[in-house]
Amino acid sequence: MKFRKYLMDKGFSLVLWIIMYLILLLLMFAFKTEGSMVVAVTVIMSGCGISILLINFFRKKRFYDEVINNLEQLDKKYLILETVNMPEFYEGELMYQFLYEINKSMLERIGEYEFSINDFKDYVEMWIHEIKIPLSSLSLMARNHRDTFDKRVNQQIKRLDDHVEQVLYYVRSENAEKDYLINENSLNDIVSNVVMRNKDDLLEKNIELTVSGVDKLILTDSKWLEFILNQIINNSVKYINGTVQACIRIQARAEGTEKTVLTVYDNGIGIPEDDLKRVFEKSFTGKNGRTGVKSTGMGLYIAKKLCDKLGHGLMIESREQEYTKVSLVFMRNPYFDVLK
Amino acid sequence: MKKILIAEDDNSISGELKELLDNSGYDAVILENFQDAKNEIISQMPDLILLDINIPYTNGENLLKELRKESDIPVIMVTSRNNEADEVLSMSYGADDYITKPYNPTILLLRIGAILRRTEQTGDTLRYHELLVCPQKGLILREGAGSEPETEVVLTKNEMIIFVYLLNNRRIVTRDELMTDLWNNKEYINDNALTVNISRLRTKLKEIGYENAIATRKGQGYILV
Repeated sequence: MKFRKYLMDKGFSLVLWIIMYLILLLLMFAFKTEGSMVVAVTVIMSGCGISILLINFFRKKRFYDEVINNLEQLDKKYLILETVNMPEFYEGELMYQFLYEINKSMLERIGEYEFSINDFKDYVEMWIHEIKIPLSSLSLMARNHRDTFDKRVNQQIKRLDDHVEQVLYYVRSENAEKDYLINENSLNDIVSNVVMRNKDDLLEKNIELTVSGVDKLILTDSKWLEFILNQIINNSVKYINGTVQACIRIQARAEGTEKTVLTVYDNGIGIPEDDLKRVFEKSFTGKNGRTGVKSTGMGLYIAKKLCDKLGHGLMIESREQEYTKVSLVFMRNPYFDVLK
Repeated sequence: MKKILIAEDDNSISGELKELLDNSGYDAVILENFQDAKNEIISQMPDLILLDINIPYTNGENLLKELRKESDIPVIMVTSRNNEADEVLSMSYGADDYITKPYNPTILLLRIGAILRRTEQTGDTLRYHELLVCPQKGLILREGAGSEPETEVVLTKNEMIIFVYLLNNRRIVTRDELMTDLWNNKEYINDNALTVNISRLRTKLKEIGYENAIATRKGQGYILV
């Protein structure tokens, strides 16, 4: 709070005070008051005036300065009321009361939204569990009646399942709650599950698959990581290059004692340089998504968000028409060793 | 015949599961009475239970907990809840495996087979006519009859996986099943390699006196005769 601005704000009162003082002076001259009396009145008037001004200024300054200062430092500014004390002057009290009411009504509104989002999230999760029942039923039927159900049916079931999973993890990635569980997991099993899930596509497209060095333990949520890896491998399968023998190489290596890097390399159509830095953006489809196979632009976005939550690194390198290499970085947190 | 109990409240799934298991040489029964599930299960005395987490009156986890107080029948939890916490919880209650829907039926059968074999503890060797198969050592032995010396053939890991699968499933086996088993064992080979492995396996079996042991059923798959 600046004194000059405060003075300017009080300009009208100052003018009034000066007029009053001038009228008093005139009166005193008219009644032929003694000189010493005029001086005394002047001293008293200006003394009182300045004191009132200063006292008021400092009372307010204390409150407002605290507010300004805390607002600057706060990350969530709506919490400001929690950090300042109730001021001791009337206007301040009113202001404090208003802020409290406004805050409360806003929080109620946000609470309503939060509630409805959580409600929706629960519904989506429940719906996904429901939809998996007919999906399982279908895959069993396809297996039991192999003569009438073609292999293509299985591929469509897998596509359905992939899309359903994407919704599930989108919902999970958008919500702040922690519904994952970090555990020590075998990378080998995770890779194997994902590869198995894509077995039919890999075989049908005659993609050469090599997996090496994955017999390692990593700290992750296996279900989340399987989803992330599935997105990456789905992309590799989707964007193969028709002109060369397609291959996908999954490789893990330890870097030091604390870091494990899993890379998925494919010799597919690659990603144009301009698109590369935007692949993790929501709904970004890029040149490949527009020209070749249809893309939703959600897979890598969700994968990245999940990685951020789990604390894994996710990097992508590529050269158009040559290769794409996606790296996942897992850290070994010493904290976890202590827990065990 | 091994008896497998299906605890699943969706009729279409339990019906299809029963058909799948019956066709694969198991005796599958569907749990009808969920109200008194625990006693029903114990009176049925199955060799393995496929237990869904979402069942009426209670839930799979509670039922498993109750069941474990009285019996250690192998249990595979089957669920559409694809969530690490649920899996950890189920395993801590004593489940032998945890499979999420929608499952690959071949994998389900592989897991069932693996658990039944583990609990049965048949030892490490299998028998095919006069041959002794040791999967761990990758060997097939023919015991010497009389003065004949003992002969042995070394199989590669892939050949052994194929042979053991055919041996454990004495019916027509599709290429897809063999492929699934190989991939399940982390051998990610392609279609050509499977053909090569089968023909090598045939040659090796011929060496040891079993020519035409693996017969091709056109358009269906292979069968060990």
